[in-house]
Amino acid sequence: MKYKHYLIDRIPCILTHILSMLGCTIFLLAIKTQKGIILILLLAWFLIVSIYINVRYYFRNRYFADILSQLDNLDKKYLISEVMDYPAFTEDRIYYHILKTANKSMMEQVSETKRERKEYKEYIEQWIHDVKTPISAMSLICENNKSDSTRKIMAELEKVSHYTEQALYYARSENVEKDYLIKEVLLSEMIHSAIAGNKQLFLQNHVSVQIENCEYTVCTDEKWIGFILNQLISNAIKYSEKESIILFEAHSNHGNIILSLNDNGVGISESDLPRIYEKGFTGKNGRTGKSSTGIGLFLCKRLCEKLGIDIAVKSKIGKGTSVELYFPKGDFVKVQE
Amino acid sequence: MYQIMIIEDDSVIQEELSVLLQSNGYEVTLLNDFLNMASDVKKHSPHLLLLDINLPVQDGFKICSQIRTFSSVPIIFVTSRNTDMDELNSIMLGGDDFITKPYNTSILLARIASLLKRTYASEHAETLTYQDVILHLESSKIEHQGKEVELTKNELKIMAFLFKNAGKIVPRADLVEYLWDSQLYVDDNALSVNITRIREKLKQIDITDFIQTKHRQGYLI
Repeated sequence: MKYKHYLIDRIPCILTHILSMLGCTIFLLAIKTQKGIILILLLAWFLIVSIYINVRYYFRNRYFADILSQLDNLDKKYLISEVMDYPAFTEDRIYYHILKTANKSMMEQVSETKRERKEYKEYIEQWIHDVKTPISAMSLICENNKSDSTRKIMAELEKVSHYTEQALYYARSENVEKDYLIKEVLLSEMIHSAIAGNKQLFLQNHVSVQIENCEYTVCTDEKWIGFILNQLISNAIKYSEKESIILFEAHSNHGNIILSLNDNGVGISESDLPRIYEKGFTGKNGRTGKSSTGIGLFLCKRLCEKLGIDIAVKSKIGKGTSVELYFPKGDFVKVQE
Repeated sequence: MYQIMIIEDDSVIQEELSVLLQSNGYEVTLLNDFLNMASDVKKHSPHLLLLDINLPVQDGFKICSQIRTFSSVPIIFVTSRNTDMDELNSIMLGGDDFITKPYNTSILLARIASLLKRTYASEHAETLTYQDVILHLESSKIEHQGKEVELTKNELKIMAFLFKNAGKIVPRADLVEYLWDSQLYVDDNALSVNITRIREKLKQIDITDFIQTKHRQGYLI
């Protein structure tokens, strides 16, 4: 609270006193009191009023400074009315009650929304688990009755399961730290199982695969990396061109393992490249024919950040795209909260 | 023949899974009474168990720990829930493997095969024979009248698949898929090249016209 502002607020009070002083002086002059006595009286009066105003400023300032520092120290600012002391003055009490009531109703609103969100998230997760059963049933039926059309259906089913996985991981990506299991895993094994999950998409789209030098172990969560690889593979297939090939390649750099996934697809234009991780960003490729949600790479980036893995994308239009994943050295994995 | 028991409450999956396993040379037992599962398992004593986690009456974890009191039969958990907690639980309670839906059938079959191989010492001969041609799977060689020739990984897998389906026409697409399932990513053109090479190698050991090309259908031995 600034002194100047405090004084401005006190103007009515000061004016009242000045008017009273004037009235008093006129009255005292009228009854012919000595001027010296009037002067002393006025001086005393002025002194008392200014002392009162300043002392009051001191206490009020201290009171608000206390509240403000409490507010500063609070993690969740909206809880201020819970920690505030019960005020001594009536006016402050009114504000205190207003604050309390407003706060209470807001808290109710917040917890209501939180609960709804949680329930919705749980429902989504449940729904995804439920839908996986019919997907499995369909792919088993196709597997048992192989023909050209069931192979096409299987490729489509692979897409469906990508989308459901995406939804599941989107729902979960906020709290990775609650669901991870860091193990030593062989890169090539993770790549093989990611390819197995996209087999029909590869075959139906005539995309070949080459794996070179991927016999490295990294310490990470197999499931999350599997999801990331799946996303990258399905992107590479989606934006593939004729005689397309996806090359998996790894090398070690001062103990850090770098896995790169190279394709010779349509590529990403330079202007789009900085924005590919943005949620909902589809870019030129997404707009020209191929449907795109703009969620895949956003999730990849988010999960990589949480798992302490760096991800980098290089691309040239018409030449292809190369995605690199940097797995840090050692068996210490920092999972971000 | 290995007997596999499927405990799964979704009837379509149960049925299709048993078709898949039967066509891959396993005997299948189904359980439809979810009340006394542990004792049913005891009665049938299968070689391997495919166990769903979400089941009516009792969940898969409980059944697993009950079974573990009397048997060490290999158990593969099959589930649509894929949190790490579930995976951890399944390992803690004595499950041998954990596969999440929607599972890839080739992965499922590979896991089953490797688990069976690990648990029961292999009784299968590591050679395949058709007419008077012998395929040695372990040493990757093909033998005819005492003459041998070495095969590459791709060639061996192609021959193995043809031997297993001897007398039947094998569609190219099936062959390519089988190779992919074996983690050999061979495309259609490369398959033709491989077949040509195999034919040349077969000629070296005096086998001719062993692999026939059926136009638009596939290959036949």
